[in-house]
Amino acid sequence: MLARARQSLSYRDLLYNLVVRDLKLRYKHSALGFFWSLLNPILLMAVFTFVFTQLLPSDKTRPAFPIFFLSALLPWNWCASSVAGTLGSIVNNGHLINKVYFPREMLPLSVVLANMFNFALSIPALLLFMVFLRPNFNPTLLYLPVLILTQVLFLTGIGFFLSALNVFFRDTSVLVEVGLSAWFFLTPIIYDAQDVAGKYANVMYYLNPMASIIANYRDIFYYTDTSSPDPLFMLRTLITSTILCALGYLFFMRLSRSFGEEI
Amino acid sequence: MRTAKAPERANVAPHSKGLNGLATSPNMNSHADSEVVTLPSATVDQRVKVIKFSHVSKRFMLHHERPRSFQEMVVSVFGLRTLSKQGVALPRPSTEEFWALRDVNFSIYAGEAVGIIGENGSGKSTSLKLISRIMEPTSGSVSVRGKVSALLELGSGFHPELTGTENIFLHGSLLGIKHKDMAARYDNIVDFAEIREFIDTPLKHYSSGMVMRLGFAVAINVDPSILVTDEVLAVGDEGFQRKCLEHIAELRRRGVTIVFVSHALEAVRSLCQRAIWLDKGVVMADGPAPEVLDLYLAFANEKHDDRLVRDQERSRSNGRIQGELDSATITVEPLYTPNETANGTSEPPALEPVRPIRITGVKFVNTEGEAVSAFRTGDPFVIRIDYKADHKVEDPTFGLALYSENGTHLNGPNTRFGGLNIPFVEGTGHVDYRIAELPLLAGRYDVTVAVTGPDMTEVYDHQHRKYGFSVQPTPGLPERWGMLYIPATWRFEPDDKEGLGISRQPSAVSNNPSQE
Repeated sequence: MLARARQSLSYRDLLYNLVVRDLKLRYKHSALGFFWSLLNPILLMAVFTFVFTQLLPSDKTRPAFPIFFLSALLPWNWCASSVAGTLGSIVNNGHLINKVYFPREMLPLSVVLANMFNFALSIPALLLFMVFLRPNFNPTLLYLPVLILTQVLFLTGIGFFLSALNVFFRDTSVLVEVGLSAWFFLTPIIYDAQDVAGKYANVMYYLNPMASIIANYRDIFYYTDTSSPDPLFMLRTLITSTILCALGYLFFMRLSRSFGEEI
Repeated sequence: MRTAKAPERANVAPHSKGLNGLATSPNMNSHADSEVVTLPSATVDQRVKVIKFSHVSKRFMLHHERPRSFQEMVVSVFGLRTLSKQGVALPRPSTEEFWALRDVNFSIYAGEAVGIIGENGSGKSTSLKLISRIMEPTSGSVSVRGKVSALLELGSGFHPELTGTENIFLHGSLLGIKHKDMAARYDNIVDFAEIREFIDTPLKHYSSGMVMRLGFAVAINVDPSILVTDEVLAVGDEGFQRKCLEHIAELRRRGVTIVFVSHALEAVRSLCQRAIWLDKGVVMADGPAPEVLDLYLAFANEKHDDRLVRDQERSRSNGRIQGELDSATITVEPLYTPNETANGTSEPPALEPVRPIRITGVKFVNTEGEAVSAFRTGDPFVIRIDYKADHKVEDPTFGLALYSENGTHLNGPNTRFGGLNIPFVEGTGHVDYRIAELPLLAGRYDVTVAVTGPDMTEVYDHQHRKYGFSVQPTPGLPERWGMLYIPATWRFEPDDKEGLGISRQPSAVSNNPSQE
């Protein structure tokens, strides 16, 4: 397995090219190109802000709602587009799988990284909103790389499972479609993790690492309390994500042997 | 060194006696149930093994009803059976095994050019995919040393939305080549593909020929130590094909190992010194290309003859087709219902258009006057055209045409050009076309026959490539390549006889070894 990993490392140019391909193709025929990475979440934020501050105002409405919402929406968008992208990453590249040998794990990994890049591009938008709405830059912002790493590991693990499963059972994609919208509501994006009723909060954190990750993002971008996020909590999420990624890798490797004949 | 055998060729079949022994025993039935025919290699054995198949088998599961959904997976995991509406257990989806390769053993050495031949479904492509690591064997092991570049469906790995340059680098990295190494090859690739002015245009605007040229250029410019190619060279224009073949030959000279899968036997013959013949996943023969190709041709001919005989039997039982489908006997009656005569018996249906003269059969006749379907080069050969004329027809012309297996039109004689005047025909009879010594080399040939009116515009009957015969490899024949055997002599005459040290014989003439 170590030899395998070393081989993958020697294919890092491939990873780079796949990520570049992904990004180039995404904005190939659009006039605004890369600006969509910024525009898309801003438009969504405008909609949700209107709904939650104007249509459904309540005493629960957060101050500086756009920041509250964006700090969770941006990582969620990364998650959702990665899951959707990795799902088809093997099946849609059948023409490559059937013709050339290369480490297949590069395909889902490149999707996660391309979306990470997109996420990184949208961070400035969030920072800009913070400057105008509520200048509050905690030192906890320095945790950002750790959070990003955690999310990369988590999404890659999920990507390994889904992309390989989809080769053998095409219903995976239908299930994932439904699953993603359920997941959106089961993750504290439009509400706050602390508002989750009683014992369900812990259940949510245990079953949904994405909930932990997003809660952490919100901690560093939105909340002023510098004691959160709890480093131990972050470490636990990181470990969970690492284990998931390793299991996903093993699962993927096992199934990837017959990709060539199944596609 | 011809009898010397490499150590790993220990599994030589007991009846392999060397080249001559094999060439004289083209009866392939003995191989069908037997061991591998391993022809001793003429080259030296002190070589580096770059590809080794040891006891390789590859199984495919043919799911007639694939469990492609979770429901079916759950059903199959728990051994449950799908219930039909009536609550009756339906049969489980049947899974059939298909062994694309069975216990295949061979080694390919550095610098060899090896052709893999065989019919469709014989396991050729599976072998290529195992070599290029696209698939893994079900059992046994495949070990490959060196960088493999595969020419499978040129350009299929490219993305239409990316430009030529982007595709070059993407493809290079797919093969594990570093960006800077690829940059060093970039100019070579662009020049070879002849697409410099379009190199920054998205690939979707390229012509298919340009995509193919680019695909080939990338594949050969990545310094492969093993080049694996499928039928790719069958596409593309003549000039491009020649350029590719020349380049492959050039790579061969540089010591690149080449594995070439093709139905184009002539290409295998010219490119490869060794051939491996696979049939139904089993290695039938492995050795010098000419010998293996001859064995394969003889086998293919025999098979074709069997099929011809079956076809003829089938066409004889013309009119009604009976078959068993789902235990019900289905009888297909002609759509045309013949008039019933007074006593209730029916006339045979007149499906054929009315022809003044019909060709009722074609036979290939040997010296003994027997109708056979296999000949040898140099045999006396007669094509006998049986005809039937319902009434008197004056001044007909009989003609025929010979075709090679791949459709090349070889000749087209007829009785009128041949100076045979047939005043009239009535009833039945036959017309013979006689060749004293058959000049065709081993292969399969098709025959078209026709009968026309005097000016050859009114066609009475025309049967296009309906008949066929084969020519078996003929031992002792001084020719092997191409289709024709033309008896000829060679002559050698140096201008400066003294300087060459030839003093005793002013000229050497080789007599064509005649057919005894």
